[in-house]
Amino acid sequence: MKTNRIAALVGLALILSSTPAVLADDTTEIGYVDQAALSALPQFTAARAQLDSYGANLQKQYIARARNASQAEQQKLSAEFQQQIADKQRQVLGPIFSRAQIAIASVASSKNLSIVVDKQIIIVGGTDITQAVKDLLTGVGDPVPPVNTPPPSTVGYVDQTQIDAIPAIKAAATDFQKFKADQDQQAAAKFRSAKTQADRDAIMTAYQKALTDKQNQTLKPLVDKTEAAMASVAQKRGLTLVVDRGNVIYGGTDITADVTSALK
Amino acid sequence: MKRRLLALVACGMLAACARGGSPASAPAASPGTGRVGYVRMDDLVKKHPLFGQLAQYDANIQALSLTALVPRPLTVGPQLKAEEARLQAQLEAAAKRTDALLAAKGKSYQDRENEAIAAALRGAGASGGPSVAAIQAQMEGTARTQVAGAGAQAQRDLDTYRKQLEAQDGAQITAAQHTLEARADRTYRAKVDELNAKESALSLMLANADAAQRLSLRTRLSSLALDDTQRADANNELQALDRKESDAVAALHNQDAQMLATLMTQLRAGVQKDMNAQVAQIRQRSVQRYRERGDQLRTEFAPANGTLIATSPSGATANPNLPPALRQRIVQLHADYTQAFQADAKQTIADFNKTRSDLMARYALLTGTDEAAARSAQLEIQSLQKRRQDLYEQMVAQINREVKTIAQERGVSTVVSTVAPAGGVDLTGDAMKDIESLHE
Repeated sequence: MKTNRIAALVGLALILSSTPAVLADDTTEIGYVDQAALSALPQFTAARAQLDSYGANLQKQYIARARNASQAEQQKLSAEFQQQIADKQRQVLGPIFSRAQIAIASVASSKNLSIVVDKQIIIVGGTDITQAVKDLLTGVGDPVPPVNTPPPSTVGYVDQTQIDAIPAIKAAATDFQKFKADQDQQAAAKFRSAKTQADRDAIMTAYQKALTDKQNQTLKPLVDKTEAAMASVAQKRGLTLVVDRGNVIYGGTDITADVTSALK
Repeated sequence: MKRRLLALVACGMLAACARGGSPASAPAASPGTGRVGYVRMDDLVKKHPLFGQLAQYDANIQALSLTALVPRPLTVGPQLKAEEARLQAQLEAAAKRTDALLAAKGKSYQDRENEAIAAALRGAGASGGPSVAAIQAQMEGTARTQVAGAGAQAQRDLDTYRKQLEAQDGAQITAAQHTLEARADRTYRAKVDELNAKESALSLMLANADAAQRLSLRTRLSSLALDDTQRADANNELQALDRKESDAVAALHNQDAQMLATLMTQLRAGVQKDMNAQVAQIRQRSVQRYRERGDQLRTEFAPANGTLIATSPSGATANPNLPPALRQRIVQLHADYTQAFQADAKQTIADFNKTRSDLMARYALLTGTDEAAARSAQLEIQSLQKRRQDLYEQMVAQINREVKTIAQERGVSTVVSTVAPAGGVDLTGDAMKDIESLHE
């Protein structure tokens, strides 16, 4: 009887040793922040109000100047005003974001988290550090940056904007956008002359089909290829997850360069 | 003692396993064995029973964005551009006509002044020359000829103006019809979306309310120990549950269909009524403008109070050697013609300005119609986007609940929505099956 029990225990241990990650406490390395909750803090709401006011004023100026401008001039004006808004955003939000980033890094470091992501991609588990970050941001004095860099993480991320800048992908995206713009114009012209709801539905169905077909033809193969490259890189580097850079707030393992190389 | 020792050994091995060993020997959790899992949320959303409703929202938003009435911030649509060009051409034509008319009138006044002065000189130089009355009669004869020519031109102008008004009316009526139909269409679509959202909400609520019972039945069905009768009973209960939910949703759907049919009838009647009112208003305005223009032209070209006296701006100057009375007569004639020409020219310019104002007002109306329709469509798009977002969040919340259950069953303690498959446990397949079976 005893021998059987001992054998069972040893057997269990052997099984577990062959699947080493079974009880690996991977979950403790992932933290998350509710960015919506942080953005409700007074300093963020005040900054947004300031930007809204600036934006509204700029929009009035834009409308006044663009009303009698040609299409090309409107585009130029639009770019100019967007640049002004972006500059203002950097000026107003930059210091606040920087402070929040330090607070998040400080909390993550104190809890030994290797990555902090946005709450919306966490479905189960993870460590919620939102309150701790809020406390630091609303407390007296500035948060202190952590001394150590984040520990290596088994969660990887890719910067989609860099992937999108790969020439083949960029060309395909541009081609698709041009196709879409043409389709938009054609569909809009047809909508003008459509007499019944059935006509409009038919136009819409044809329009969507044309876009889906083009998407499947030009973009989907590249998306599939990119996903395969990410999976391959993730496997080589022993990662458990790959998320988008946009969802990563702190830490994580950047595999963008590897994925980019694999795709070139 | 020995048992405790073995237990410690086993624990030690477990702990070693838990630490995961060196990265080289145990780089990551193998699929299906790790505690970190992931799902591909986009794929799951596509399998959700309410994805059709979500796609419908997307299609409606897209359709609204595509309509030419829709809001392309500060970009001028091709039709508006064409209309603007047409109005500009009309304006230029009106300016040219005015220039030509002024030149013709100038020449006419000059000729008449010259004739009047010549007649006055002839009258003074010969005792048998024409009297002042004869001079005046001759002047009036010349003026009548000129007026007849100018009147024909005025009639042509009036005809052109009438054609312009008719064309403008046609364009305005078409634009009004388009706007009214688009507004009715948006109202109808908004109601359809609202009712669809209610049906979806009911469907979701029923599915959530029955979730525990459904899960229990499914668990029972997955048991191998069930005999045929028990299995059939459980299947029947499951089907009854599905039927109850679909019946409730179908009842609401029928009610909604009736409501939509009534709304459609009301909207059509409303469009017709508004259209009739707008057409009457547009025509009344045009008739009024046409009459005003006709009156102006009649006033301008008809010699209402006797002689139409004209002069040339560079008319003859009185010779100082002439007798004082004749010299005064010539100066007076010149002054009269100058004054008459200036008054006439002033009226012609005023008419041109009136035409220009009409055309500019027409352009403003076109632009205004477009902007008002664009604002309305933009608001509708925002409303649709909000409802789409609400529905999406409801769907994701339901998916998350399913994923949590699966994660518990499979011992996965962290699940993340991810972009690419990696070493973690992929729960997408299991979640997909559960989500697909939610509304079977």
